Amino acid sequence: MAGKKEKDNTKSASKKGNEHLVGEERLQAVVLTDSFETRFMPLTAVKPRCLLPLANTPLIEYTLEFLAKAGVNEVYLVCASHADQINEYIEKSKWNLPWAPFKLQTIMSLESRSVGDAMRDIDNRGLITGDFILVSGDLVTNMQFDKALEFHRKKRASDKDHIVTMCLSEGSQFYRTRSHDPAAFILDKKTNRCLYYHQLPPASSRKKGAIDIDPELLEDVDDFVLRNDLIDCHVDICSALVPAIFQENFDYQFLRSDFVKGVLTSDLLKKSIYAYIMESYAARVESWQTYDAISQDFIARWCYPLVLNANFLEDQTYSYESRHVYKEKNVVLAQSCKIGKHTAIGSGTKIGEGTSVENSVIGRNCHIGDNVVIQNSYIWDDTTVLDSTIIEHSILASNVKIGRNVSLSDGCVIGFNVIIGDNMVIPQGCKISETPVMKSEVQFLDNESYDEDDSTISSDRATNFKLEPASDLLGETGVGYIYESDGSNGDEDASDETRINNTLAYRIDELYLSDDSISSSTGERKKKRTMSTTSVYTDMEGEDEEDEEDFEVEAMATVERAMENSHDLDTALLELNTLRMSMNVTYHEVRAATVFALLKRVYHFIATQTLGAKEAISKIFGKWGLLFNRQAFEKDEYIDLMNILLEKVLVIQFEKPEFVLFRALNCLYDQDVLDEEIIYTWWAQVSDDAKYDQVKTLTAKWIEWLQTAEEESSEEEESGEEESEDD
Amino acid sequence: MSSELNATIASFCDRLKRRQITGSYHVALETLQLLKRFISAARWSHTNELIAQLRDLGSRLEKAHPTEFTCGNIIRRVLAFIRDELEEDLEMSKTPTPAEPMISSMFNLLQRPAVPEKRKSVVHSKTDLRQAVIQGIKDIIDEVTNIDDGIQQIAIDLIHDREILLTPTPDSKTVLKFLIKARQRNNRNFTVLVTEGFPNNTQAAHEFAKKLSQHDIETTVIPDTAVFALMSRVGKVILGAKAVFTNGGTVSSTAGVSSVCECAREFKTPVFAVAGLYKLSPLYPFNIEKLVEVGGSQRVLSTMDYEGAGSHNRLDTVNPVADYVPPENIDIYISNIGGFAPSFIYRVVWDNYKQEDVNLEN
Repeated sequence: MAGKKEKDNTKSASKKGNEHLVGEERLQAVVLTDSFETRFMPLTAVKPRCLLPLANTPLIEYTLEFLAKAGVNEVYLVCASHADQINEYIEKSKWNLPWAPFKLQTIMSLESRSVGDAMRDIDNRGLITGDFILVSGDLVTNMQFDKALEFHRKKRASDKDHIVTMCLSEGSQFYRTRSHDPAAFILDKKTNRCLYYHQLPPASSRKKGAIDIDPELLEDVDDFVLRNDLIDCHVDICSALVPAIFQENFDYQFLRSDFVKGVLTSDLLKKSIYAYIMESYAARVESWQTYDAISQDFIARWCYPLVLNANFLEDQTYSYESRHVYKEKNVVLAQSCKIGKHTAIGSGTKIGEGTSVENSVIGRNCHIGDNVVIQNSYIWDDTTVLDSTIIEHSILASNVKIGRNVSLSDGCVIGFNVIIGDNMVIPQGCKISETPVMKSEVQFLDNESYDEDDSTISSDRATNFKLEPASDLLGETGVGYIYESDGSNGDEDASDETRINNTLAYRIDELYLSDDSISSSTGERKKKRTMSTTSVYTDMEGEDEEDEEDFEVEAMATVERAMENSHDLDTALLELNTLRMSMNVTYHEVRAATVFALLKRVYHFIATQTLGAKEAISKIFGKWGLLFNRQAFEKDEYIDLMNILLEKVLVIQFEKPEFVLFRALNCLYDQDVLDEEIIYTWWAQVSDDAKYDQVKTLTAKWIEWLQTAEEESSEEEESGEEESEDD
Repeated sequence: MSSELNATIASFCDRLKRRQITGSYHVALETLQLLKRFISAARWSHTNELIAQLRDLGSRLEKAHPTEFTCGNIIRRVLAFIRDELEEDLEMSKTPTPAEPMISSMFNLLQRPAVPEKRKSVVHSKTDLRQAVIQGIKDIIDEVTNIDDGIQQIAIDLIHDREILLTPTPDSKTVLKFLIKARQRNNRNFTVLVTEGFPNNTQAAHEFAKKLSQHDIETTVIPDTAVFALMSRVGKVILGAKAVFTNGGTVSSTAGVSSVCECAREFKTPVFAVAGLYKLSPLYPFNIEKLVEVGGSQRVLSTMDYEGAGSHNRLDTVNPVADYVPPENIDIYISNIGGFAPSFIYRVVWDNYKQEDVNLEN
């Protein structure tokens, strides 16, 4: 691995020479076709997100069209899930023809599970030679890229450390295509340099958003703007350094919350990120909601000149009629049917008598019966809808068959090849797939919330639900299974969030209102920085405290991670040490954090009744107690360690703190971490302290015993040890 | 067809689709360059084959951008040129020496055509057609690039001293040059009113007005809504045409022109349309809706924020980028070959195009 990396480094070094020669003309683009999310389940179980049709055109076409217009020369498509399908599609598409505007190459990065993984994979392959555009495969935009590139180059010339330009589009925070991870950007008012990035809680959740800013970050800035009205559609112009930064920071997963935040707050990297703010339309299809919104916008020509009747696919024949109606050739409409505004109909589709269609997209070769009502819905290719059915605000995937007199209410998602029998009523927000979809198959980062025990429960429920077809819902002749969205079995908070992310239904509109509260707390757009010296001073103090807190949290997380994944001691120690140096804290904090983490783990074991108190303590302290060997060196430090132990045992509020303290000390003693002599000294200091009386009861006995044992062991060494083991 | 040529055509189509080539002037020149390459690379055994290939190319380009008529016009011009050549050849081969021998003597009437002459004409059609067509294309390129001069020559005398002019098409380069020339040549004082052309052409209008004022012309930018109020004082309306149809109607490059022309008619103000010859189209405007392109909605509601307007899609925007002006609202067309009444346009059209090329689809 190391050898390979070295090779890559030399390769990139040799390419650097070329970079200066051709860097100006050649522009590369990396398209992440996988979003590493599961928001489009159950449809994405069959087809990758980037091939789902938006207004009868696969999503990836929009991105590639944008890149073609941007004048990109080379495009790398990074595929993870369903890579074969994407590959096949690309091979057959016009982008593979000799006169395509750019060279397109698919990269199979099958084991990637996050954006970070994909970037590391790209770095390993050494494909990037200069500045490149990083976009996701679900982007719909009509932005003028040349202006953004010009901005990037200008900033690059003035600031050598400039590595990323984020293209952000202005829109109100209530705009419906606004991304699901709203964020606040702090920008330098003059140069548009991004100073800080902070992810806000989703607009609809009940949590209040707050931003903590390190005053140091704002040190050389005169005027800064805090904005949360920007639509971030993840179009980044990156320098060749970016994949390498991902490589170095192997824990970076997300582009924004890890990478951007990491780069901005890091003292070591000293790189800068700029934001290019534009007014063009730009949005990502990242959930059912945005799918709906972007489809409507696209039909209403918000993305001009990217419009349906430009017929970007070779075989499309759309023509435009007033009130935003698009029809392909060979559409058969009955005389009495009504085609309302904002509608697109693909070729080969037949629409029956008395049917009305409004605000909808209908794919190719669909058969719509008589007296059907279709509103605000998206019907993909080859679907049959029989007479008198009502479809409202739903998505019907390809090859679906819907019987007579069926009613689909707000927010239904019907998967590929599903059949629904006659006279059925499908309730609000129901998702149906042809085959049962197991959530456990998909282990992406966004459902990290699954704990081991949690997922077993859910999969139990899943098996209960999914192995039998939903015949009571779909009728006797129906084919399909209900897909339970992630939110249904999470805890209260999580369910709230995921439900928002996952529904198409209108009821989210109501929840949107809660955005008000967030906007009022963070909505101050512009702040003039007028800090007096005193306020700086107090701020600095506050920041110090915060630093410590940060360290504690970080260090505990490190130790917990080490225990969970059973790393070896050296790794854990190395990580802690790095952390200690980077945050510039003393060993005291390190010890405190470690002790606290270990005790928490013990508490967790006891609380969940996985292990008894005794076993838990000896397991945890037996293995991880050795950490202290490298965290304490002097006698004083050991005493400090024991003091910490004493305090923390109380803090965590064990049922029997005295027992825990005693076992922990005993364990450390057995490990030879603690000397008798040190223990005695410590005891002499604390024994009089009345505060810990209750905790010390058992320990007092133990020490007493130790003292006697030592006396004995001076005579008989071995017997002493045996006895201590017995105890 | 060679793959290289095919690649050029496909990328040209794509650029048309993406609206990377805009403005009839640029489209015309690019189409001509493409045609030059096409003709020099094309292979045909009979002239009819070449015509079929060209018609095919024409319909491809028309499909790529249905409201950009220039591509079709140019290809139809070239097709007409080829058909003329063909006809000439046929005539030459049928009646080798038409008038001359007839007059010379009765004996010639009974004489059979001279054999070597006939052979010569066949050879001519095989080898020189390519040369002739390419020369023809070069002539059209010359014509297109010099179009403004021709128009200026004719138009300058139409502007009087102290006249107030109104132009609703600020994006027309021809109108701009025409006005500037009129000021420079005749040293006449006149005032130009420029409509703002919201939302698509506002910026263009401002630039247009700035350029005019730099050339010492009194210029006033007026909102589109003020046209009726000001029309009574206007001496002439000058507009740039994007395409001129057989019936004398025109599609202008800015929305709002039609209402300006209606106002002018109400006040009996003469309306002059300036258009190069290459903008004449042999099409007839049967379906006006299809001729007018609808642009982006974001121009009308500039911020993307319209969530407050209702629960779902209650707020609609339509933004046509062009306007159709019927022939009765235009008084005279000024082209590089002279001024014509709208009712006369059909004659000019059939001088330049052939009836059989109106529909390019094979």
